[in-house]
Amino acid sequence: MQFLGRVGAVLLGLSLILAMCLPAGAADPITIGVLGPMSFTQGEGHWNGATMAADEINQAGGVKVGNVMRPIKLIKIDTNEFLSIPDATNAVEMAVSRYKVDFLIGGFRTEAVQVMQDIAMDAKKIFIGCGAAHPALCTRVTKDYDRYKYWFRLTPINSSYLGKVDFILLGTVGAIMKAQLGLDKIKVAVVAEKAAWADPIVRAAQKVLPGKMGMEVVGVWRPSPVAKDCTAELAAIQRSGAHIAFTTFSSSVGLTFAKQLGELKVPAAPVGINVEAQKTGFWSATGGKGEYTVTINTFARVKITDKTIPFYDKYLKTFKEAPNYTAGTYDAVYILRDSIEKAGTIDSAKLVPFVEKTDMIGTSGRVVFDKSHDVKWGPGFVTGLGTQWQGDQNLCIWPYKWHGITYEGTVPYKLPPWVVEHWKKK
Amino acid sequence: MGLLGVYFRRTVTILRSEVLVLPSRIAVLVFIVALMALPLFTQDYYFLRVLILTSIFAIFAASWDLLSGFTGQMNFGHALFFGVAAYVTALLNLKLGLPPYFSIPLGAVGGVLTGLVVGIPCLRLKGSYLALTTLAFPIILTGLVFAIPDVTGGELGLAGLSRLTGSRVMDYYLTSGLMVILGFAMWKITDSKTGIILHAIREDELAVRTSGVNTTRYKLLAFCMSGFFAGVAGGLYAHFMRLAGPSGLEVGLSFQVIIWAVFGGMVTIYGPIAGVFILYPLMEVLRVALDSFPGLPEMRMFIFAALVLLTLLFMPEGLIPWVRDKVEIECPRCKVRNAFNRKRCRVCDAVLD
Repeated sequence: MQFLGRVGAVLLGLSLILAMCLPAGAADPITIGVLGPMSFTQGEGHWNGATMAADEINQAGGVKVGNVMRPIKLIKIDTNEFLSIPDATNAVEMAVSRYKVDFLIGGFRTEAVQVMQDIAMDAKKIFIGCGAAHPALCTRVTKDYDRYKYWFRLTPINSSYLGKVDFILLGTVGAIMKAQLGLDKIKVAVVAEKAAWADPIVRAAQKVLPGKMGMEVVGVWRPSPVAKDCTAELAAIQRSGAHIAFTTFSSSVGLTFAKQLGELKVPAAPVGINVEAQKTGFWSATGGKGEYTVTINTFARVKITDKTIPFYDKYLKTFKEAPNYTAGTYDAVYILRDSIEKAGTIDSAKLVPFVEKTDMIGTSGRVVFDKSHDVKWGPGFVTGLGTQWQGDQNLCIWPYKWHGITYEGTVPYKLPPWVVEHWKKK
Repeated sequence: MGLLGVYFRRTVTILRSEVLVLPSRIAVLVFIVALMALPLFTQDYYFLRVLILTSIFAIFAASWDLLSGFTGQMNFGHALFFGVAAYVTALLNLKLGLPPYFSIPLGAVGGVLTGLVVGIPCLRLKGSYLALTTLAFPIILTGLVFAIPDVTGGELGLAGLSRLTGSRVMDYYLTSGLMVILGFAMWKITDSKTGIILHAIREDELAVRTSGVNTTRYKLLAFCMSGFFAGVAGGLYAHFMRLAGPSGLEVGLSFQVIIWAVFGGMVTIYGPIAGVFILYPLMEVLRVALDSFPGLPEMRMFIFAALVLLTLLFMPEGLIPWVRDKVEIECPRCKVRNAFNRKRCRVCDAVLD
């Protein structure tokens, strides 16, 4: 009996020691489902951004829910949404009903995100979108607030705002060319990949450029999104006398076009959307010929806020790749943490008013949501960036004195030297 | 009471003489009973969702088999019927407010009309020319979808359709019940006089024409019937997902249906249904199984493709005909199928090898 008593005392002591050694980690984790096409660079961005934020928060002790510190647990949900919409919806249903996630972040393809939204709304779970840009996703919030109030879009800025930034970049470069080269009227070649999403931009360019911007559209070229040769288009652009090639590329044609434009020294400055030029591998993929390419971007190594450069450097060091816009999941996790700590609960319904009141300095700007739960765009909020490849660096060139905004680290735009040489002679 | 007794005795007789004599039919019976009983054991939303989509795609795959398997009209753009019906269903539901029990049948009529539109120009084409022409139609329609976004919703598609039924369990019973009924209907069509003519057209169209059969009419009929069944699947899909979008017309979906049908076994109707019931949930099983191994979840598609390829390498006729040939033997005299353990034919009493 005496022996059993000793064993009991030792076990009790061990239990107490164990209990004292288990602080935040022992509490139930807060689970966040990270949704994305994980075999693709967009999904990697979703996952990488979220893991960085979750690691930082967990190392700092976790999220304070009432009086308890709870860790964040991320669940990687491969939505495969590029290949199959039903696959994507099954994945979200699994996250909600099987893994019982508390929140959802991510998503990319608009058509798939709509159905994901419905599943999240049925489950009454907060879903912060970090990938799909279509405004209609947020219009649902204003149309049926009670059902869709759990949806928020953090990144990218919606496609209407993206369009605005696109034309601002074009106008900026046009103004620089006019000033530096003494041109009277800027001639623009509209080059957009043959894809449905690019159609509205082409239509807008044909309308806005001659009307509001005083530029001339010399032609429209629509190469295949996967074209391996753009010399025919480039030769035609050169013959048309265009000063600027206004690009709209999301696929590999962006690499081909930029590389061949540099190789052939076509005297038209490339400006617009070129998703390939947002990637770190662009420089080596074009063999340096893609220099001077300008594209819309979300992240660059500039001081948008105090958080941007540390985030950019850490991301680059950890993943050997600059962050793309889907890595905005980083801010999404912090928005959830801040709201949970203020509300003292992880109940999505009670949390919505706190997320709505978000006013956070994030990595891509000051994050505030409008009435449709869309991230606000403009001076003083998230602005987006224009970046240009100068040497082997993708540097921020816009905003540059735009409404008094120039982020620290922003450099002036540089015209390609062969463009200057060609148009100076004339 | 007496009438009920008669029906009961008749059912038992049919079961004993027609169903319980063959392992493949017993398997079908067990499958249907299991399918109907499943919600009694689990009402897991995710599980039911996967099975609802499986039932919808099973109707779709069987409809492809009816046209391409039985009639030999190789259709590489079968998603056209599915997609058109989904859009028609969505428009009727969203613009006219028609409930699913009206919008889905009318969407299927859209599939029939599409069958006519596609069938007429394809009547003179055969083999790879027919396959490539049919492949072009959904691509053309995708262009049209993007050209009139005010009607079709463009890239976003048409979202916010009313729900199929009020609950997930009811959705399950509706889709799985329709799958069983429509699958049986398709099987009966192929077993009928019309089915024999369709089969004969596939084997030798010239010989059928010389027999005085208007093959043009039958080929068009095959396109329309296939369009109808695929249309029902498209309508169910639109209401269940609450979305009809360009993804319903994608080439990938057209090829997916061929993979399911070829894997399960063409020219059987039940083969493609079984193919979908194996392959579609398999993707989800792989998702769950591979989740615990870092790096492997992204290999899901690769593992899936390797499994399909290996199966077809060893079972070129498809999985179900291969299994059926193992458990059943054909009578050398009357060609009736018998269970593998029988010594004599159940119909003509001939000795079985």
